[in-house]
Amino acid sequence: MSTEAIAVEKPKRNYNVLFGLTLLALLVLLWILLSVATTSFASANNIANLLRQGSMIAIMAVGQTFVIITGGIDLSVGAVVGFATVVVAMMINAGFPIWLAILVTLLVGVAIGMFHGFGIVKMGLPPFIITLATLTSLRGIGLLMTNGNSININSDTFTAFSRNSFIGIPNLFWMVILVGIPAYIFLHHSRWGRYLFSVGSNAEASRLSGVNVQRTIYMAYTLSGLCAAFVGVLLAARIGIGNPTQAEGWELQAIASSVIGGTSLFGAVGSVHGPLLGAFILATINNGANLLNVNSFWQRIITGALIIIIVYFDGLRRRGK
Amino acid sequence: MISTAQELHPAPVLEPGRTILELRGLEKRYPGTHALKPVDLAFKSGEIHAIVGENGAGKSTLIKLLTGVMPRTSGEIVWEGQPAALATPHEAMALGINAVHQEVVLCRHLTVAANMFLGEENSRFGILQQRAMVRQAQTIIDDLGFDLPAHVTLGDLTIGQQQLIAAARATVRGTKFLIFDEPTAYLTRKEADQLFTLIRRLKGEGVTIIYISHRMEEVFELADRVSVLRDGTLVGTRNIAETNDAELVKMMINRSIEQVYHKEHFTPGAAIIEARNLSGKGFENVSMTVRAGEIVGLYGLIGAGRSEFVTTLYGRHRKSAGQILWEDKEVQVNSEHDAIKLGMALAPESRRDQGLCLNLPVGFNLNLPIYKRISNNLLISSTQEKTQADRQIADLRIKTPTRGALASSLSGGNQQKIVIGKWLAHGAKLFIFDEPTVGVDVGTKAEIYRLFGALLSKGAGIILISSYLPEVYELADTLHVFRRGKLVATHGFHAASHEDILTQALAEKQEKLGGQI
Repeated sequence: MSTEAIAVEKPKRNYNVLFGLTLLALLVLLWILLSVATTSFASANNIANLLRQGSMIAIMAVGQTFVIITGGIDLSVGAVVGFATVVVAMMINAGFPIWLAILVTLLVGVAIGMFHGFGIVKMGLPPFIITLATLTSLRGIGLLMTNGNSININSDTFTAFSRNSFIGIPNLFWMVILVGIPAYIFLHHSRWGRYLFSVGSNAEASRLSGVNVQRTIYMAYTLSGLCAAFVGVLLAARIGIGNPTQAEGWELQAIASSVIGGTSLFGAVGSVHGPLLGAFILATINNGANLLNVNSFWQRIITGALIIIIVYFDGLRRRGK
Repeated sequence: MISTAQELHPAPVLEPGRTILELRGLEKRYPGTHALKPVDLAFKSGEIHAIVGENGAGKSTLIKLLTGVMPRTSGEIVWEGQPAALATPHEAMALGINAVHQEVVLCRHLTVAANMFLGEENSRFGILQQRAMVRQAQTIIDDLGFDLPAHVTLGDLTIGQQQLIAAARATVRGTKFLIFDEPTAYLTRKEADQLFTLIRRLKGEGVTIIYISHRMEEVFELADRVSVLRDGTLVGTRNIAETNDAELVKMMINRSIEQVYHKEHFTPGAAIIEARNLSGKGFENVSMTVRAGEIVGLYGLIGAGRSEFVTTLYGRHRKSAGQILWEDKEVQVNSEHDAIKLGMALAPESRRDQGLCLNLPVGFNLNLPIYKRISNNLLISSTQEKTQADRQIADLRIKTPTRGALASSLSGGNQQKIVIGKWLAHGAKLFIFDEPTVGVDVGTKAEIYRLFGALLSKGAGIILISSYLPEVYELADTLHVFRRGKLVATHGFHAASHEDILTQALAEKQEKLGGQI
């Protein structure tokens, strides 16, 4: 092709913003519809409940998005959440200070993420396989540790945290902001964020450009493990127990939130605000369906349909229709 | 000696057989690109018709139209006197039009026999007749004179052998019209000879062969007629006996060699990098020095060890023996990161696989090596990010609507400018260009060569790898010839003839090629 004749493509710089606004509009629309359709949706209690439900998936989805941007997947996050509830519960019950229990739990999440990085980078395992293996083993290790029982956490200070609010907004939602803002800066305004994208787009080109690809992959899975362990702490506080079978299937919800939020499973496309909105859209659908007395089985079907529709339209857009 | 009158009015082209396929005003436009301007051309049965032209001249477009891979914009294709739609690959195959592509498009995990019969499996009551198919495939392969087993997995064969299987596959399908797209790119001479035998035999059976190649010697060895494409236009068709190398090249590029290769000479300065008896995977005992202000050319065939040598310098692969000296001090280059830190930059061979993040913006690609510099410990300076990218786009005249456009939306030449441009702001001292002008049109080539001059004037050194002899010959101050992992000869600028260099690079192939180049 001659230089004069480039296939000119319209720049898509504002696409991210536009897509975010569309998701936000969808979320607001859902809220308006549900406020009209049900009496209880708009109550302070229900909104607080909805925010609590959405928050945990949202935080997991952020970590998951980092991994997906590199072209990988982290199936272990649900199991990490369950395992983390066990770790934090055992430590608190053993009399360790709460801050230490939380810190150790978070470090366990980091260690699991590092292990994933090791499996992918050093052992050459596909991300799908290594994280699937962790998913099942972590549940098993948790069950061994607890002998299959739930651990009741005997610290009110710890459990009160997740029930309380700060200036009218549930603490759990504040945690989304606590994670979201640094995550946003990290992904969009730091070079490590850029490297996540470049590795997801073309690892070899990145390597030849001086990007430490291995370290970038370690970082993505570590952050995902960290986010999941953090959610584990929050979940333990919310339900007051440690139980390795908690958070069954949350990995799929996290992936769904991420994908609904515009992350491409082929890598190199994604944001932080997208998965956050995606998680709250999913939470709203579930919450609304409960209020409308829709059979809860339908919620799963609706989630599936939503994924197909959004990814289909996103694909159309990317192919330039 | 050709008279002037004959040059102006070439003798009417010989027509050995009847017309099998005729193009009437065949045209293809892509959004923003006129890939093929109306072409009128008739192919005869039983002829070998070579099509030559630079990368981007429209050869691939023509093949895609003929094989039904893409629809044409306008014009007619007449097959055996009947207009043909050629809207799908299936229709093309049903007519008897097949293609053997440069990259083998077969299933690597299936057996040779399974590939030969792919889509036309021999089955009885729905059960595959596997043994019968292997037997038949073996008969066909033996018959063609290829010494290959039919029962092995295709992926276990070399690329060249796979290419032969692809050709054999095309012959058993009632093919009347067979297109070869640079079939010898990955073949050894022996394999190429087997392929040529097959091609001549098909010709004898009345099959029309379209032979696309960059290798002039093959065109003169095989073809009856040759058509030249340039910038999507059919420049002309010649009988092979009535033309020569120089005429075809002139038709292909329409400008003289001096206009393209703009060579500036600088007095070489201090040594930037030196390899002493360096060995590694794919090459052994290579010594050379690159000094400031000089271009060191590495010439050789694909697989001669040139790319392996430079990627080892660049820390991509480990050296097994020898030393690397950077500015006269011995260094250990254990990773690309080390190399970049020293001041090396590599524009790799394959833009798509190694050079670019295609689905990310142009500006992102340009800044990738320097993100460390344009960020403080935490944040990237977005002003710097913009100004750096825009400056490179302007300096290199990269044709892109904005820095935010995706790299995949640019043409090959402009993509190559990104691959090179991302190192300019980095301030490297040694630039390694591995086949920098593959798939790039002449205009962009000239721009890239001028850029070399600009780098040299700033005191940089350049290693230029090319499989295209005129390129290294006209540009390199020092030219090293590689053959089978060894550095076999070194010449100064224009110190040896093309023939000598080719002989050194090819060695055993010499007699075949005879003065055709």
